[in-house]
Amino acid sequence: MKEKTMVEDINRSVYDIKNEETDVYRMRAGLTPEIVSQISDEKHDPEWMREFRQKSLQIYNKIPVPDWGPSIEGLNMDKIATYVRTNTDMKASWDEVPDDIKKTFDLLGIPQAEKESLAGVGAQYDSELVYHNVRADVAAKGVVYTDMESALNGEYAGMVKSHFMKLVPPTDHKFAALHGAVWSGGSFVYVPPGVKVDIPLQSYFRLNAAGAGQFEHTLIIVDEGADLHFIEGCSAPKYNVANLHAGCVELFVGKNARLRYSTIENWSKNMYNLNTKRARVEAGGRVEWVSGSFGSHVSYLYPMSILNGDGARAEFTGVTFAGKGQNLDTGAKMVHNAPNTSSYMNTRSISKSGGISTFRSSVVVNPKARHSKSSVSCQSLMLDRISRSDTIPAMDIRTPDADIGHEAKIGRISDEAVFYLMSRGIPEDEARAMIVSGFADNVSKELPVEYAVEMNNLIRLEMKGSIG
Amino acid sequence: MGINMTINRLPAPTWNWLHVNEAALSVADTPAEGQVKAETPDSIQYYKEETTPSCFAQIPTGLGEELDALFTQCGALTRIWEIAPGVKESEPVRLHFSYQDGAVWQNRIGILAGENSAITVVMDFCGEVEGFAAVQTKIAAGKGAKVRLVQIQKLQDGFTFLNDVGTSCGEGAQIETIQIMLGGGDTYMGMRTDLGARAARLESKIGYLLNKKESLDMNYLAYHTGAKTTSQMDVSGVLRGESKKIFRGTIDFRHGSVGAKGDEKEDVLLLSDGVANRTVPLILCEEEDVEGNHGATIGRLDESLLFYLSSRGIEEKEIYEMMARARIDALCADIADEKTRCLVQRCLG
Repeated sequence: MKEKTMVEDINRSVYDIKNEETDVYRMRAGLTPEIVSQISDEKHDPEWMREFRQKSLQIYNKIPVPDWGPSIEGLNMDKIATYVRTNTDMKASWDEVPDDIKKTFDLLGIPQAEKESLAGVGAQYDSELVYHNVRADVAAKGVVYTDMESALNGEYAGMVKSHFMKLVPPTDHKFAALHGAVWSGGSFVYVPPGVKVDIPLQSYFRLNAAGAGQFEHTLIIVDEGADLHFIEGCSAPKYNVANLHAGCVELFVGKNARLRYSTIENWSKNMYNLNTKRARVEAGGRVEWVSGSFGSHVSYLYPMSILNGDGARAEFTGVTFAGKGQNLDTGAKMVHNAPNTSSYMNTRSISKSGGISTFRSSVVVNPKARHSKSSVSCQSLMLDRISRSDTIPAMDIRTPDADIGHEAKIGRISDEAVFYLMSRGIPEDEARAMIVSGFADNVSKELPVEYAVEMNNLIRLEMKGSIG
Repeated sequence: MGINMTINRLPAPTWNWLHVNEAALSVADTPAEGQVKAETPDSIQYYKEETTPSCFAQIPTGLGEELDALFTQCGALTRIWEIAPGVKESEPVRLHFSYQDGAVWQNRIGILAGENSAITVVMDFCGEVEGFAAVQTKIAAGKGAKVRLVQIQKLQDGFTFLNDVGTSCGEGAQIETIQIMLGGGDTYMGMRTDLGARAARLESKIGYLLNKKESLDMNYLAYHTGAKTTSQMDVSGVLRGESKKIFRGTIDFRHGSVGAKGDEKEDVLLLSDGVANRTVPLILCEEEDVEGNHGATIGRLDESLLFYLSSRGIEEKEIYEMMARARIDALCADIADEKTRCLVQRCLG
């Protein structure tokens, strides 16, 4: 039967490529002190990290699962392999990456993007990076972009130790503790004072193994007056067993520095995405989160910005698209800890074909955050009556000098808008896809054009068959 | 005997670290039946029931099941004011709750409005004493009925007050509530409205002035299950001293609420360094053809308003005082009954 929507130019199979596990090391499934110790062996952990992992495991075992979000009953840690790696080292040339893996990243467009528009790329495949490279001119400015294992054991070991899981301690929640115990892979970035990286760095995370977890750690330090745009992409093929992503992103934004962190998340729809992202922003600094959430079976994702210095700023721009079988609980948290800080949230969520989308947020303005401002705007679109869309914001304001605004809207596609487009000769299904793409333009206009195109393609892909 | 209760539960909980998912309360003694002075117009029937009539038993309330259980445990009787179908009474039922020192009281009120009737009930809760009181009001509004509920609270430090409301609406029924809270130690307010029949309508207005160490914990829920139902919640208040307030407001669009509309607005003025304001406005939705909105402004006065009034020679402190009082005056203007308006003005001083 012919599809009713005009999406011939988009090929979902790109994301669903599955490579055979032929030459890989797979840790047995489950979560025990022995398994955690084996990960330490594999990762050549220094002693403090060995202890840190074991303590995190103890914390994990004590903390209950969240009692407030989507159900994660389908996630059984006894069936998750926490460490899977191919038998290859990290390469600095795509030609040296094993063929099947290189082919996957080729189809995802990573090497091409690197050539055309990126200052550096890290490509992670299952638990470890298989490729990492940074342009020579960027490295010459003193920018450090390397994998976490090299950073932990090399020249930047001290810097890693003083920052690792300081923003997101293992006690923060159950899956932060899990991350502390079994993390592997991820990137370390340091941008020296005053250095502006004109074009973005990107890390791409690909989880190929079925029944496995990915626990990459991203640690970025943007020093005083520096400027960086970091892009994170992720995808996985769909399996009929649960996969888990419990990564952790820690961003340290120095005085008057700026960091933009963009993500297009397109995990497969058997994925439990229990990710934690947090930024601390010093005086005059600025963090900008741009986030598109399209994949996963269940998602808990709420980047937090802690505005610690006078005049620090945070922005969160996000879109979430929940389709059939998806329960995506996304949003952001803002904490104002200093005077004259400001935060801005602008989100869109779309629910379709039985998907559940929840916008969850918090704005906390502490007593010392005098003259702070915050503005939250969230809009939700329901595309049918078998889906669900919830908005759960919270504000905790403890200074009289704050200026806090919040607005939320929920509704459907306007019949008038569809009629208008149809009267111009656009088929109904395409008209609806166009309207949804327009609804999400708060995010697409913040992304580099190649990524905006990918995001719009994802929206059109998700809209496939939305009529009738 | 101590009774521990969890009340004002958020229907969809959020992060526990925010401490907004519910309120915990301990009651030292089993409350006794409180005194109520009533003025009832002739057209309205008043009677008491020792067991809760089924038309009220089915109605859930904002504070929740555990308070219901407390009333049952107390053997609370229900005082009912009933208006017959088609009768429209312009004179309000007046209920005066005057609390005495050390009171530990409860009262259960039922308002039964027949088809196409109209009734106004004014309740005032006053007392310059310490104590505890829980008042539960359940409203069953028949098809096309119009029920107005006006509540004025002026209590003192050291008084714990639970004001719990539950309503159910027949087709085209209208519930209008105005609640003005002008003082009290720890106050818990809640209202749940089930808009289960076509074109039923809720309009809820809440105003409060909090001072010193007063606290106000609110939970308001509008459940839309009927087609073309509408709800409007407007909350406006002022916090001074070290007062604390939490407002939970939920609009829940359930299956069947095709064409429903829900709006929540909140406007909070913060006037002192020690205040704590928490706001949790939820919109839950499982129906496509609905429209839900929420808007909140919290903190300082709008700068353009401040500039305008300053340019007229008014001191900034005076502007804030004026705007604080204006929030209650605006609500007061919506009360049709002059005696009640005067009562509010007296309470404001």
